[in-house]
Amino acid sequence: MGRMFEGVMQSTVTPLKEDFTPDLATFEKLLDFHVRTGATAISWPHHKGESLNLTMAQRKALAEVAVKALGRRIPISIHVSALSVEDSMELAQHAQKIGADAIIAITPYFWNPSQEALYDHYVRLGTSIDLPLIAYNSPRMLSGAEFTGELLGRLLERLPNLVALKDASFHSEKFLELSRTALAIRPDFSLVTGVEFLAPSVPLGGVGCYSSAGAICPNLCTQLWEACISGDAPRARDLQFKMLRLWDLLKEQYPSSLKGGMVIMGRPVGPTSPPLPTANKERVAFIAQRLEELGIIESEPHGW
Amino acid sequence: MANLRLGLVHTPITPFKADRKIDFGLFESVVAFHLKNGAEGLAIQMHTGESVSLSDAEQRQILEFTVRQVKGRVPVIAHTSDAGTQIAADRARYAQDTGAAAVIATTPYYWTPPPAMIVEHFARIGSAVTIPFYVFHTPDELAATKLSADLVLKLIDRLPNFAGLVDSSHQWQFMIDSISAAWRVRPDFQLISGTEYMVSAGTIGASAMFSPLAAVAPKLVRNLYDICRTEKYFDARKPQENVAALRQAVKRAGGIEALKGAMRAMGRDCGDTRPPLDKLEAKRFEKLAAELAAMPFLRDEPRGW
Repeated sequence: MGRMFEGVMQSTVTPLKEDFTPDLATFEKLLDFHVRTGATAISWPHHKGESLNLTMAQRKALAEVAVKALGRRIPISIHVSALSVEDSMELAQHAQKIGADAIIAITPYFWNPSQEALYDHYVRLGTSIDLPLIAYNSPRMLSGAEFTGELLGRLLERLPNLVALKDASFHSEKFLELSRTALAIRPDFSLVTGVEFLAPSVPLGGVGCYSSAGAICPNLCTQLWEACISGDAPRARDLQFKMLRLWDLLKEQYPSSLKGGMVIMGRPVGPTSPPLPTANKERVAFIAQRLEELGIIESEPHGW
Repeated sequence: MANLRLGLVHTPITPFKADRKIDFGLFESVVAFHLKNGAEGLAIQMHTGESVSLSDAEQRQILEFTVRQVKGRVPVIAHTSDAGTQIAADRARYAQDTGAAAVIATTPYYWTPPPAMIVEHFARIGSAVTIPFYVFHTPDELAATKLSADLVLKLIDRLPNFAGLVDSSHQWQFMIDSISAAWRVRPDFQLISGTEYMVSAGTIGASAMFSPLAAVAPKLVRNLYDICRTEKYFDARKPQENVAALRQAVKRAGGIEALKGAMRAMGRDCGDTRPPLDKLEAKRFEKLAAELAAMPFLRDEPRGW
């Protein structure tokens, strides 16, 4: 059986109205845009989707819209991480009930749990559902809590539904420890990177990424992926460099610069919710200039 | 600037006698071993060589000794890092006078100067010589001071001989930011993987590699490096995983004392590390030796000197 999660997958932003409430109609348009421009799966709401700024009710309502709008064209996973683990458990149940294809969960926030506590957390979450589970490792944002190869190996032995890991370490040694442990236990495990760091990860067993830039430049995403899997190292490197220049631009107050860039590409999705700032006119003009320099405006789709 | 392109650079250990003095007799065997087993350059002495535990006079002595023994067969890169900028710069000048092919330095020990003074530190070391100068980025060992692409650009601007960056951060973002910015203004600038994690580094522009583990498994290291130089990174996955397995086994056993322990397990006993580093006591050594014995890919590696 093929992997459910591979290639350039899109974790979408959350379109908001001016009063910061969810804009459901635009959300549907955005999901459709990603499907049409080559996304191999959708995942929502990662931090780029402002997950932690949404209420439980909003998260559930938007998840329902997403599952319905996609209509099984590509798989959708729901990110269930919340400040309270009890809320995460509830969101996982909800995801299963509404027909999502999988859930994804980062290591718990704030407390810096021990390796043993992380093991217990993922076992509790993973055994509470019948859906595939994707683990999410982000040691740079949650220092102290991270997946070691050993922890991942233990969880793979325990949880048959642990099918993938999103790794946002962006680190040669850490990535290789995860890949060589996981793939030895389960060769069809999906190890993917947090943003489009495909060139350094694909030769070591990486099978894709959750994209940061797909709402701006889906063509570049596809080109980079194809160069990486075909082993065209010089082209992969050039495209990876270009992608990183874009990431350097977008990661600023993520996702507010990304939402700013989407305005330029004719796909406005409203403001970013506080405490994150919304890209102001000057910032949008700056982003426009950089997108122009990178040749993105002329080579990527405009509008919905 | 001399056009030096580094390749596979071995980073030898420093052997000590029971009285903790440098064992030059044994060091001669160490250098000979590296030269015979694929080194395209020697970096004298990196942290692997316990540089920080050597006096200034000893660092000079060991460099002179190496240059005499190598006789120009491969470039000798002199590591001259120190806490004080002037001390490091003086040592760099001495290295050039002694016949080193290049100089390398990391951020100052102990101090956490502001970014402008980090630039100044490197600029003074680099401008003390006319041979190529390399910056060594090792944030896991020197966490307080961060390097950035901006610092790389400022140094390129200041130093015509700033030839490259030896990276042990393993951070993809830093490597890509730095090398892509550097290539725009200095196309022959080199990114060098500071350890054997060469596949990921190679995909994003590294053309050379520093290797401590070449003292343990020189064939494996050479094979990994050679495949990466052909840019066939999928083919490099297996040797990369084997090197990682070896590296993790050594890391679990300890620091440089464990590297020396691994050499001993391969029949190349180099004695203990110098204080304040721990000795590798029998129990840890035996566990490490057993782990290495269970690694099939080490069977073809040379035993003894």
